[in-house]
Amino acid sequence: MTPIAGSVALNLAFGFSILTVLTLFLYNKNGDERLFLTGQRLALGISFFVFLATFILAYQLVQSNFDIDYVARYTSLETPVVYKISALWAGQSGSLLFWLFILSIYTTIVILQNQQKHNSLMPWVIITLAIVQMFFLVLTNYVTNPFKPTDADFIVSNGNGLNPLLQNVTMAIHPPTLYLGYVGFSVPFGFAISAMINRDTSPLWIQSIRRWSLVAWLFLSIGIILGGWWAYRELGWGGYWAWDPVENASFMPWLTATAFVHSIIIQEKKDMLRVWNMVLIIITFTLCIFGTFLTRSGVMSSVHSFTGSSLGPIFLTFVFSIMIVSFGMMYFRRNDLRSTKKMESFTSRESGFLFNNMIFVVMCFAVFWGTLFPVFSEAIRGTKITVGPPFFNQINIPIGLILLALTGIGPLLAWRKTGKKILIRNFTFPIITGLIVAILLLIIGLRGAVVISFSLGAFVTATITTEFTRGIQARRKKFNESIITALIKMVSKNRSRYGGYVVHLGIVFMFVGFTGHAFDQEKEFSLKVGESNHVAGYNFKLIQMSETERPNHYAWISDLRVTNDEGKFVTNLHPEKRIYFHRNPDPNRRQPHSELDIYTTMNRDIYSIFSGVDSENSVAFIKIMVNPLVQWVWLGGYILVFGTIVALWPRKDQ
Amino acid sequence: MNSNKKFILMITGIITVVIFWISWVSLNPADEKAMATFVSVDELLEDNITHRTKLGGLVKDGSIVISETNHLDCVFILKEGDLELEVKYGRTRPDLFKDGAEVIVTGLYENGVFHADELQTKCASRYEGDLRNEKSYNLSEIDS
Amino acid sequence: MDIIKEYGFIIIFFIMPVIFVIQPLFLPMIEEKKNQLSVDGLKRKKLLIYRQIKELEMDHDIGNINESDYKLSREALKQDVSEIITKLNSL
Repeated sequence: MTPIAGSVALNLAFGFSILTVLTLFLYNKNGDERLFLTGQRLALGISFFVFLATFILAYQLVQSNFDIDYVARYTSLETPVVYKISALWAGQSGSLLFWLFILSIYTTIVILQNQQKHNSLMPWVIITLAIVQMFFLVLTNYVTNPFKPTDADFIVSNGNGLNPLLQNVTMAIHPPTLYLGYVGFSVPFGFAISAMINRDTSPLWIQSIRRWSLVAWLFLSIGIILGGWWAYRELGWGGYWAWDPVENASFMPWLTATAFVHSIIIQEKKDMLRVWNMVLIIITFTLCIFGTFLTRSGVMSSVHSFTGSSLGPIFLTFVFSIMIVSFGMMYFRRNDLRSTKKMESFTSRESGFLFNNMIFVVMCFAVFWGTLFPVFSEAIRGTKITVGPPFFNQINIPIGLILLALTGIGPLLAWRKTGKKILIRNFTFPIITGLIVAILLLIIGLRGAVVISFSLGAFVTATITTEFTRGIQARRKKFNESIITALIKMVSKNRSRYGGYVVHLGIVFMFVGFTGHAFDQEKEFSLKVGESNHVAGYNFKLIQMSETERPNHYAWISDLRVTNDEGKFVTNLHPEKRIYFHRNPDPNRRQPHSELDIYTTMNRDIYSIFSGVDSENSVAFIKIMVNPLVQWVWLGGYILVFGTIVALWPRKDQ
Repeated sequence: MNSNKKFILMITGIITVVIFWISWVSLNPADEKAMATFVSVDELLEDNITHRTKLGGLVKDGSIVISETNHLDCVFILKEGDLELEVKYGRTRPDLFKDGAEVIVTGLYENGVFHADELQTKCASRYEGDLRNEKSYNLSEIDS
Repeated sequence: MDIIKEYGFIIIFFIMPVIFVIQPLFLPMIEEKKNQLSVDGLKRKKLLIYRQIKELEMDHDIGNINESDYKLSREALKQDVSEIITKLNSL
């Protein structure tokens, strides 16, 4: 396989995408089923060529063909094979091709899934997806081509190698999961556009995208959590979330998508909120494209690094075109989108969903506002003002707490309206639980948002527990089942409902973890062998410091003995200072890296960083952070994933 | 009809409260480190700006001086074009901080010295290897 | 051998997909399947409403809905289902 074959494949894919759109347009005009078949196959052809191009690039990466600029930039002969493959999404052009690759997988699945179903929405779904593919094909063909050869006057004997920070299993799977999420929303978006064009007002199309939306949402969630996990374990500043534009870019579509997966339930069940759902999916998809653009174009004021890139204007044009076309379409179809049914009461499940939706969107707006604050401030005041984490935290903490409260309140409300009696019955236990926790926390001396957060967490947990126990009791009374059978049957007959509750529980865990951040402590100090220092109730003694050379780096390894205030042994920590490319004659190309070491318990993490070394005097420079409750965030993540899988698990009758 | 009006009222209420909240925080951030003005070294020196600012530039070759006593305190020269600025920083330095590195510092300018409390270097997600030492960095791109 | 080597990938790359794609155009006219389409749709609608009735019953068993509301909603859903069944039978 030659690299030229890759370029040819991408060009052919582009040609096929144009043909797909033309053929299906023609089919929509004259209704000849044969044209539809051809159009479908053309769309499969796009995917085929994209797959081919991706495999060729992966092959070139593995083969270390440095005649290709991309291969020379992101891999070297020493790069392990796994990371050679992961280099596929390490750079700009490769990651755009990878985006396209995932979109092609999704498109293929959609087409094959619906082949036998005679779904009248399919032609326009395929057209929409083909247009999105076309956009990315233009980029990878003509703007930033991954198969671009290395400049002829420049012979590369070995490539640059992948950044050591990215040579990490999490970092190898974080971008693909995030992309699976981003790209996944193309499918519901395609269905939404098609439903509008076809004037399909039935809740059926909503039902057919519910699963897709949840899958995309799941991947997006995993991607975000993995990103935080990676930042926490690798970057060494002790946190998992910094409100960086790139992080925000993934968080914004997550917020609107979360709103969407909630509100489509209402459209599916009650046929309400048609317009609202349309708006949500359009915004979510646009934000996904926008997110790709923020991550990959370097146009935003990301304070991290900058690549001169011509992608900016093209992406912005695409983003605006999507919005104009979609919202324009909504305007022309406003009569079809008008729901016949209205909300009846504030104390109904419907209105609970509505408010939760509003809060999600509001939070998304707040994040958007902060992310683009430099742009806005320049437009308004003429100075570029960037905002940091304290700003985002201040704005979002109250909004987040309201969301947490709604997580508990919503599920206890009945559809249509909740009677007073039922309200009192459903809320007494959770409210009392929350209050007890609040009082206990106040007694031990805690104040402020922390108390609210923990007691709301207790409140929500209580509501979830109530829902489960009531459901089980009702089944036991009716069918005379054992607790276990009742639980299993109840969940398996109402997967999305109870899976959703489990997800909520995961969110509560995560909030507990976030709240722990309020108690973080840190200290930086230097230690000679034998000396010790004290942080947050722990004593750190440097037992010894050793040096070693490994295949791709040189390392200083510290041996820290951690004891608590009573002098009891806790653990040994071995943070390292590494120099990658240490054999490179040019000292500027050598890259230092601090490999941190963490001791974790559910209560707190002890986080150690070996920030520097003075080998002449054998002094180690250590940074210690004691971060309470961080593990709850990751545990919450696992629960969230588990809950979503329960909700997604297919039923026999589907 | 009546309940519909109530909903619309409620929704408008929420939106108003939120807009008020966001603009309030934007105007009066609780934490002094919440915001920083992005300026060039030129603007900083000329206008003698003393509130919190953010600057971008390159670390001048050979200018990094690290304290012998605690290894944390460090002084270096930030270069932007021909302009130079002395920067003091007293916390753990990022791994990629070295001569010639592209950095962004945030802090306060006082008596000719910039006291930074944040120092950021090139981010991993955008690590674009440079084959021939080309400078893809361009200050005008920071914030456009 | 050389010819195959040189043109092999062009065949895979181009000729096969093109044949695959234009093949349907040589098929005889395919008759419309609109009828089938609406039957499928109605069946799915029916399933959806059945599930809603089940969930409503469960909520009632748990005690999240009061008696009159339950009866009303259930009646409405049953009405919908019977309409769909009538339509299905007429097709």
